Amino acid sequence: MAKPLQNALGGLTLVVMLIALYLVFMWVPTEIDQGIVQRIFYFHVPCAWVAFASFGLVAIAGIFYLWLGGQIWDDLGYAAAEVGMLFCTLVLITGSLWAKPIWGTWWTWDSRLTTTFVLWLMYGGYLMLRAMADDSPQIARYGAVIGIVAALDVPVVIISVRLWRTIHPAVLVTRQGGHGLEDMRMVVTLLVSLAAFTLLFAWLLMLRFSELRMRSRLNAAAREIAIARLRVGAA
Amino acid sequence: MRPFAAILRKDLMLELRSGRTTTALVSLALLVLVVLAFALDRAIAGGSDAAAGAMWVALVFAGMLGATRVMLAEQENGCLRALLLSPVDRATLYAAKLAAAFIFMLGAALAAMILAILFFNLEFSNAFGTLSVALLLGALGFSALATLLAAISARARGGELLLPILIVPLFVPALIAGVKASASALSGAQFAAAGQWFGVLAAFDVLFVAAGYLLFEHVVGEE
Repeated sequence: MAKPLQNALGGLTLVVMLIALYLVFMWVPTEIDQGIVQRIFYFHVPCAWVAFASFGLVAIAGIFYLWLGGQIWDDLGYAAAEVGMLFCTLVLITGSLWAKPIWGTWWTWDSRLTTTFVLWLMYGGYLMLRAMADDSPQIARYGAVIGIVAALDVPVVIISVRLWRTIHPAVLVTRQGGHGLEDMRMVVTLLVSLAAFTLLFAWLLMLRFSELRMRSRLNAAAREIAIARLRVGAA
Repeated sequence: MRPFAAILRKDLMLELRSGRTTTALVSLALLVLVVLAFALDRAIAGGSDAAAGAMWVALVFAGMLGATRVMLAEQENGCLRALLLSPVDRATLYAAKLAAAFIFMLGAALAAMILAILFFNLEFSNAFGTLSVALLLGALGFSALATLLAAISARARGGELLLPILIVPLFVPALIAGVKASASALSGAQFAAAGQWFGVLAAFDVLFVAAGYLLFEHVVGEE
C-alpha cells in the first residue's frame, strides 16, 4: 500500500471529521424532545454502519480467500474484523450513553441492541481464535470459515430477535411517530458524519491491512531463509 | 452412501462399547438442571418460562460436550488424518459426523426434557409434541454448528476454550426460538402457537447444515 495514499487518506479523514464535529456540536439544531443527548446519534449511526460494513467485508474476504486463495484476502479479513470490532464496541457504548437518559437504563434486551451485542460476541470469538491460534498454519482458513458462518447467521439473528422484542427507534427506516429527522440540517449533519466515519474506517483499515501485509511478507521471507539454510546444510 | 454408513457405524459402535459420551451427556444435563434448580428456585417453581429455559441451558451445555466429542475423539492417535487419507469425500465425512453428533444430541435432549419435566413438576401431556419438535430441530442445528466448529477447535491451539466462545453466539437465534417454543408449549398453548419459532429453527438448521456441508472441506484442508 502506497504511503502517500495512506497519508492523503489520513489528512482527508481529519478534515472531514473536523467538519463533522463542527456540524454536530455547533451547527445542527437541538432535538426538541430528547435535548442535547440526541447529538450522539450522529456518532452512533455512522459507527453502526461502519461496524456492519466491516463485518460484511470479513465475510467477503473469507469467500475470496477460500475461492482464490492468497494471503492478501486473509489479511484483509483480519484487518476488517479488528476495525469492525472497534466500531461495534463504540456502537454499544454510544448507545448506552444515549439510552440512560432517554430510556432510563444503560442496557435493555431490545432487538437491535441484542443483535449488535450478539454480533460483537461472534466477532469477539473470531478475534480470540486469531489471537490464540495465530501461529497455526490453517488459521487463515479457519478465519474465513468463521467469518462466512457468522455473516450467514446475521439474518437469522435479526429475525429471531425481532420476533423476540423491539423498542428501538427506527429513525432511518420508518418515519411514522415523529421519529424521523425533521430538520434538513440534521440530515446534512448525519450524511457528513457518515462520510467522516467511513473515511476513518477506510484509513484505519488501510493502516492495519498494510501492517498485516508486511507481516505476511516477513513470514514468507523467514520461511525462504529457513529453507535456504537447510539446503546449505544439506550440501 | 457406504462410507457414510461405515463412519456412522464406527462412531455408534464405539459409543455402544464404551458408553462414555452418553454417560457424560446425561450426567451433565442432570447437573445443569440441579444447579439451576437451586439457583432459580422461586422462578422455576413459579413458571414454565424458567423451566423451558433450564431445559435449553442443559441441552446447550450437554451439547457442547457431546456433539463436539464426535470430532474431538478423532484427534486421538491421528484418527482424523487417517479418515482424511481414506478415499472419502469431505462432505460425506461431515454428514456422517453430523449424523453421529445428532444422535448423541437427541439423547441429551431426551434426558434434558425428561429431567426438566420431572424436577419442575411440569404439565407436559399437551406440550409433548411441541417440545419434541423444538428439541429435535434445536439438536440438529446445534450438531451442524458444533461439528463444523469442533473440526476447527480440535486443531487450533487453545481449542477447547474457544469452542463455547464460538458456538454460543452463533447458536443464539435457535436458542431464542427453542426457548420461546418450549415455554409456549409448557404454558399450555397449542402446537400452532409455536409456528413462527419452528420457522426460525428450521431456517437455522437448513442454513447451518448447508454451510457445514459446503465449508467442512475448507476446515479440514488438504493435508
